[in-house]
Amino acid sequence: MSEQPYVIEMRHITKIFGTLKANDDITLQLRRGEIHALLGENGAGKSTLMSILFGLYDPDEGEILKDGKPVKISDPNDATALGIGMVHQHFKLVENFSVLDNIILGNEDTVFGFLKKSTARKKVEDLSKKYGLAVDPDAIIEDITVGMQQRTEILKMLYRDNEILIFDEPTAVLTPQEIDELMQIMKNLAAEGKSILFITHKLNEIMEVADRCTVLRKGRYIGTVDVKNSSKEELSEMMVGRSVNFEVEKKPAKPGKAILDVQHLSVKSTSHPKDAVRDVSFKVRAGEITCIAGIDGNGQTELGYAITGLAKAEHGHILLDGEDITKKSILYRAEHGMSNIPEDRHKHGLILDFSLEENIVLRRYREPEFQNHGFIKFDEVRKYADRLIDEFDVRSGAGALSSARSMSGGNQQKAIVARELDHEHKLLVAIQPTRGLDVGAIEFIHSEIVKKRDEGAAVLLISLELDEVMSLSDRILVMYEGELVGELDPKKTTVQELGLYMAGAKKDKIKEA
Amino acid sequence: MKKLTEKQGFKSVRASILCILAGLLVGFVVMVILSFVNDWITIGDAFHGLAILLGGPFSSGTAQYIVTNLGDMIFYATPLIMTGVSVAIAYKTGLFNIGAAGQFLMGTMGSLLVALNINTSGKPVLGILVWILALVVGALFGMIWGAIPGFFKAVFNVNEVIVCIMTNWIAANIVSWVFGAMPNLVNSGSGKSGYLITTAVTGNGTPKAGLDKLFSGSYLDFGIIVAILLAVLIYVMLTKTTFGYELRACGANKYGARYAGMNEKRNIILSMAIAGGLAAVGGAIYYLNPGIEFKFSSAYSKLPDYGFNGIPAALLGSSNPIAVIFVSLFIRYLSIGGDNLTSAGYNKYIADVIIALIIYFAGFSRLFNDILSRRRKAAPAADTAQRGAIAAAVSSVKPADPEKKPETTEKLIEPEKPKNDGKEAEE
Repeated sequence: MSEQPYVIEMRHITKIFGTLKANDDITLQLRRGEIHALLGENGAGKSTLMSILFGLYDPDEGEILKDGKPVKISDPNDATALGIGMVHQHFKLVENFSVLDNIILGNEDTVFGFLKKSTARKKVEDLSKKYGLAVDPDAIIEDITVGMQQRTEILKMLYRDNEILIFDEPTAVLTPQEIDELMQIMKNLAAEGKSILFITHKLNEIMEVADRCTVLRKGRYIGTVDVKNSSKEELSEMMVGRSVNFEVEKKPAKPGKAILDVQHLSVKSTSHPKDAVRDVSFKVRAGEITCIAGIDGNGQTELGYAITGLAKAEHGHILLDGEDITKKSILYRAEHGMSNIPEDRHKHGLILDFSLEENIVLRRYREPEFQNHGFIKFDEVRKYADRLIDEFDVRSGAGALSSARSMSGGNQQKAIVARELDHEHKLLVAIQPTRGLDVGAIEFIHSEIVKKRDEGAAVLLISLELDEVMSLSDRILVMYEGELVGELDPKKTTVQELGLYMAGAKKDKIKEA
Repeated sequence: MKKLTEKQGFKSVRASILCILAGLLVGFVVMVILSFVNDWITIGDAFHGLAILLGGPFSSGTAQYIVTNLGDMIFYATPLIMTGVSVAIAYKTGLFNIGAAGQFLMGTMGSLLVALNINTSGKPVLGILVWILALVVGALFGMIWGAIPGFFKAVFNVNEVIVCIMTNWIAANIVSWVFGAMPNLVNSGSGKSGYLITTAVTGNGTPKAGLDKLFSGSYLDFGIIVAILLAVLIYVMLTKTTFGYELRACGANKYGARYAGMNEKRNIILSMAIAGGLAAVGGAIYYLNPGIEFKFSSAYSKLPDYGFNGIPAALLGSSNPIAVIFVSLFIRYLSIGGDNLTSAGYNKYIADVIIALIIYFAGFSRLFNDILSRRRKAAPAADTAQRGAIAAAVSSVKPADPEKKPETTEKLIEPEKPKNDGKEAEE
């Protein structure tokens, strides 16, 4: 490439928090009109680097150059003034405003203090035509699809004439079709001269869309490669620091009798009038990991809620080890052998204001081991918590007494996994058990789940991660729009075939009743 | 071992003391300003006034007065302790019991219906039994009254504040109505209108338990012992038992409590019933004192005095029942001082202004704490100013998320793209 200055150059950025070097001498060079991927595991320092670029942190060392000239970005307003915009993973939209209102929010034209939307509407329509961003300016955000919400976010940046667009894990919430559309949009934007920083840890997407890729590992700069001349294997090795074995070590399953038997189950949706789960029947056998795969929002959450008792079943029955538990309380289910790693660790899994030890006995404090006539045996609780913290390597500031809120997400998740796996159970309902964790923690949790399976527990895994579905499960059931549309054997199927089922392009009649 | 200064309790006490000092300071400024505005008050009076206020019961001249005033201070703190603990336990369960006023009145009504309708004059042993019965009936009235908003909250998800406010007014009018229909209980003495007779007439007054010897001339009675015992009991219940653990879990995260298999609806109703019972005992022990007359007509005009003061007591005491005892005593300490302010030329209500200021500052106690904690840590990477800037910047780009308050530097290491669904950065 020529000597033209980079549109954004971050030189030798170092950022230290206490004893931890979150960014250690990182250099990132973004060319005009390129799509530049930023790859790294959780905790690799991607977010810190982007926070520095966005003015949320001051770097301890290093400088930022815009078009070759040093600039100082001390708050997000500076970043906006320099034309830097960001699409967050979770959108910053006002749910009950229209698309147009959201786009102009904070940047409104007024006439004598009254809103004047006509010029804004013209501009938004032009932009959406130019870049192929199909939106309805008058639709209300809560009524439109996630994909259209994301396009609204992109239009927000374009409306403000941002030149540097940061996409923070934009595909995590999208369906495969929407991902394709987004990739096309990104290419259009780059072709029109916008520079894109694309944060992700999905290698396929990088291979498809990015021009160059910068890899970070544990706060350090590993390198920048031309994607054309690289491979998935090379990138993953750069990211993790060793060649990655995505396979989970496990022996063939020895399925026993059915522990969980779901019969013609229907569950109401919380968000729309139709049932989220429609007439679903399946069995989970002892010594087997059965996985419900599907794209987010196809009824898996509601299915998990119904099985664990957090939501009522509309129709049908749920049998646990032969006993009908459809109408039983959560407590009853837990006491009769059901463990549950919940989908949302902050909403359900933890009491964030409680200490770690209080959270570790959250499901067991009633047992005689931990209470005497209603008085909690604090010594026993401490001993038990210390044992689990040690066995599961839960790291925190003050051990058993740390506030759960102060712990990192991975360690919070480990604490939940420890609590649920240690509790004696016949059935483990694991919903997104490795969500947001790094490769090391994922391997550990997977091996623990396999161990439980080998000890004879039935495991129901509900996961959105294709890799996890393929490597961990013994049997895959695909859920699409509230129905089970396919049963697959992970050893015989491919990710592509699984994807077709997940997208609703292929459907089987499930025989099992 | 953790250092004392790092304990949560120490931080709460430190913050409360700061609130008090800030309130006193601003109150003093008000007094100084008044001394400039008013001809009959000098700047010297302002200092004199502050001294009287700080002296509380001790600023009241002769030794006899001091003893009597101390006793009264403790007596008047008694109902405040009960309503304070009432608000505190509800708050620990995530509920705002603004209905302590109505529960207080219902407790008063229940206990007086018993204590004034049964005459045991001259039979002291029987009198004590009737007193106990009156207390229990009063508590039951309050428990039922408190359970009503709890029930609506748990079953129909109606905001407890709205139902509490309604039950307050209903209680006030029921009390006026019921006693209005009982002319035999009305004090027909000269110059009296709308007052009930006292328990001194029927012989069911709260026993003095020797406290009248210690604090001669004051109203103080056994009620304070009941209040302290109940506050300690509630403290033990909240911190040491599985029931308290459940209540706190429901308050901190009701979804998590449900997931853990707790019956959060039952816990909400129970918590409100207990809160109601506590406020009611406050009313009962106050009016069972043989020296205190209950004005049953237009009871609603008294609502704020009775129950609402429990809210600041709980707030200033960080919802800790033991702390509420001390806070209540302190509030009464200041108001006794306020009663003596006239000697410095000030209206006695200036004491109420200062108490109000202190409570107002209590709202900032978390801020005080944060400022102090920040200075103490003096993390090399994030000095105060920068953290403030980060906080401001973060809040400008992400919506306020009550689930996440950055509390440690650890949390700030990876600010992560704001995620509302609970995903979080790894270390």
